Amino acid sequence: MKASLVWASPKPERTIATAMRRCYSTKVIEEIEAELEQKGPVYWKFLLTKAMQDKSLDVLEHFTMTMLVEEAGDPEVGSLARSYPYLRMMRLNASDWLVSLNARTLVELWKDPGAKAFAETFVTELDGKGVCPLFNELAFGERTHAS
Amino acid sequence: MRVKLLYHTDLEAIKKVLQAKEVAFDPESLMDHVVYMFEIEDCSRITTHQLVRHRVASYDQESQRFSAATREGMVTPASIQSNEAAYKVYDEALKSVYAAYEKLAAAGVPKEDARYILPGGIKTKLVMTLSARSLMHMVWQRTALQAQWEIRELAVTLQNLAREATPELWTKIIER
Repeated sequence: MKASLVWASPKPERTIATAMRRCYSTKVIEEIEAELEQKGPVYWKFLLTKAMQDKSLDVLEHFTMTMLVEEAGDPEVGSLARSYPYLRMMRLNASDWLVSLNARTLVELWKDPGAKAFAETFVTELDGKGVCPLFNELAFGERTHAS
Repeated sequence: MRVKLLYHTDLEAIKKVLQAKEVAFDPESLMDHVVYMFEIEDCSRITTHQLVRHRVASYDQESQRFSAATREGMVTPASIQSNEAAYKVYDEALKSVYAAYEKLAAAGVPKEDARYILPGGIKTKLVMTLSARSLMHMVWQRTALQAQWEIRELAVTLQNLAREATPELWTKIIER
């Protein structure tokens, strides 16, 4: 099975940090975004670490992505589609699929032994494209360190 | 109320994949793959209670456990604003509620407990991420004349922003 990134939320880690700050700030969104830009990736990592430690994974749902999955078998895709209702799949032809999901679902797939191979393909693609290095390190650290 | 589209899925990127795989562009089948993230500010908590009934979406909302409430931060319905007698009742009640809120805080009650006396019309802010399918369902239900004025205003604004961002998707579906 092969996965290619079609699209992902812009600045995923900052998007997650924005959702976190929204909960605890009275500021308008432009001020929150300006504050996050000014403080930079170190602060985004701090917020992400807190979300992961507290298991406040709802904020991860704002980081979304679409992948082209090729050479995937029907049983594998069907089983995942039944187990993960937030995994959105569209068949393109006999073995190719358009798959959309959010980062929370990706973390859940990663933790499921039956779905981890699928998740690893996505994480490897995100790694390769340099989409979300902070997120990948925090959420899938053992794989990133092993590669 | 203020609504801002923070990002949306790049429909063109998806269309390129469809072309490469020789699959026809079908808006209906792409509705689950196109996602929007919105910031919604200064709508009432009454309206966000209605909003979160649309469950297939992700929400993160300003917490009253940590931010202090103020008398100025209220959404006042036109039916009260335009009725002098009604507004007097409303204003007196709010003064009383907010005076009590401040007294509770002064007595050492944490914000998360003092907020139990706050009114539903208090303004709030939240981010919301959802698919085009969820958004269309919400728009379909909440732009109906039976829907309340504030969420109807919100649904129309959300629809306008989504249509502007991804016109091809919305136009083709609405044409059907």
